[in-house]
Amino acid sequence: MIRLENVTKEYNPTSPALIDASAEIEKGEFVFLVGASGSGKSTFIRLLNREEKPTSGKVYVAGKDIVGLSSWKVPFLRRNIGCIFQDFRLLPKRTVAENVAFALEVIGRPKHVIDQQVPAILDLVGLSEKSHRMPDELSGGEQQRVSIARAFVNRPLILLADEPTGNLDPDTAVGIMRLLDRINRTGTTVVMATHDRGIVDTMRRRVIELKDGEIVRDQSGGQYR
Amino acid sequence: MIGKARFLLAETGQNIWRNIALTLASILVAAVSLTLFGTSQLVARGVENATQRWEGGIEFVVFMKADAEQSQLDAIEALLEESRGEEINDWDFVSKEETFNEFIEFFAGDEELLDTISVETMPPSFRIQPTDPDAGAVAALGGTFESKPGVRTVVFATEVIREIQTNAEKISQVMLWVGVLLLVASAIVILTTLSIAISSRRNEIEIMKLVGASNWFIRIPFMIEGLLQGVIGALLALPFLAFARQYVIEDFSESDRLRLLEGFRVTDSEFLFISLTAIAIGTAVATVGSILAVSRYLDV
Ligand SMILES: Nc1ncnc2c1ncn2[C@@H]1O[C@H](COP(=O)(O)OP(=O)(O)OP(=O)(O)O)[C@@H](O)[C@H]1O
Ligand SMILES: [Mg+2]
Repeated sequence: MIRLENVTKEYNPTSPALIDASAEIEKGEFVFLVGASGSGKSTFIRLLNREEKPTSGKVYVAGKDIVGLSSWKVPFLRRNIGCIFQDFRLLPKRTVAENVAFALEVIGRPKHVIDQQVPAILDLVGLSEKSHRMPDELSGGEQQRVSIARAFVNRPLILLADEPTGNLDPDTAVGIMRLLDRINRTGTTVVMATHDRGIVDTMRRRVIELKDGEIVRDQSGGQYR
Repeated sequence: MIGKARFLLAETGQNIWRNIALTLASILVAAVSLTLFGTSQLVARGVENATQRWEGGIEFVVFMKADAEQSQLDAIEALLEESRGEEINDWDFVSKEETFNEFIEFFAGDEELLDTISVETMPPSFRIQPTDPDAGAVAALGGTFESKPGVRTVVFATEVIREIQTNAEKISQVMLWVGVLLLVASAIVILTTLSIAISSRRNEIEIMKLVGASNWFIRIPFMIEGLLQGVIGALLALPFLAFARQYVIEDFSESDRLRLLEGFRVTDSEFLFISLTAIAIGTAVATVGSILAVSRYLDV
């Protein structure tokens, strides 16, 4: 599903953010990216949806070389990749339902599809009751659920999560992880960057550890360490 | 498809509404610049029409009475032929029918006026190109025709008309250049308006990119917004142009008691052409502004 071959990313030539990284992630896997701040986790994730291009090396997603992808095709790649972030990135002037619908509207999905899929996904994330609330009327955990709903409403093959629990208290974080686990069980590949030792140690999934831009460990059923 | 269009239009509407003050400024600059451009063209056409009969070295016109007899016309013609190669370089006869056709073309649309005229009421005329363009010589030569039977009047292309012609041309040129400068300003204002619209929506744009909205889907609302500013500006310029045509140019020619500038008018088809040109230029300028804005400020 995802393959990196000898990927190096330099924002500036003196200190590369990712150095000669290679990894292969199968369909349906759940992978944690761990490592100190600045070790290159976010860079790793941004290379997977073509937010960044590697300085050298190859990136394959769903069998396609995405480095050479022409820019008009990038949106079609991204329709297969959901993204969630530490800061939720909801649109503050739209309701919960409108935030989720937005993701379908802007890729030209017809209204009857939107009307059917938005309530279904809000039900999945447990926010049916609050679909008409504004984001600032929700707790952090609820806001993250909305952003997961938005990322998943189009049923992407891959879900990229950059520290999704970074702003949440431990109990709320557990709820979010249950949701991501459920999504993973539908066959969606999940790649999640995190600093949360407790989550990594209890979930026992594959762990890729980065240190100063290098992959120093790639272990299935691993711990945070 | 309909859902898409509705979404894009709603986005455009919201963009404009959030940015209404700047959008209005942008529309007004476009309107003023196109008004100046259009007026310069109206004046140029008016001058051209008014001075048409003075072109090619023609220095005076002998107008016959509408009821002049053929023998009287023949007499003048014989006189002119006699002097050809001497005082007169060349001359041209304009028949009743030709005058009538010119008249109809000039006053097209003015039904009231056209109802009162017919071929019969039109004066035939001789347009005369003297060998010596010196004002005194021309006046003396023209004067010899004034007393001939059947002649109504002799009209000279005096210094005055030449002066009016060059002045009007200068005014038209100045308006044209100011108009062009303002058109450049208009493109810049549209560019700025769009850059502000884009930066005020950067969160939406970021999400759109993230969830895979196509590049055109992201660009189109901003391009429509920019285009609308140019097109509405141009449409707003049209009533100003109609005003300029009616009250400035035509009052000018009516107050001209010497009737030197008779025919200082702009025909309906010329006005239509100038209006369409203004709309086309407004659209083109807005297109340039919009394309620059989305390619500079929208990183898609
Ligand atoms: N857009 C950018 N321009 C320049 N340098 C960048 C950019 N993004 C990241 N970097 C640098 O690349 C390196 C890796 O950054 P990255 O954001 O991938 O780390 P991270 O592991 O996600 O850190 P954190 O845990 O703090 O989020 C850092 O040294 C960072 O300063
Ligand atoms: Mg990071």
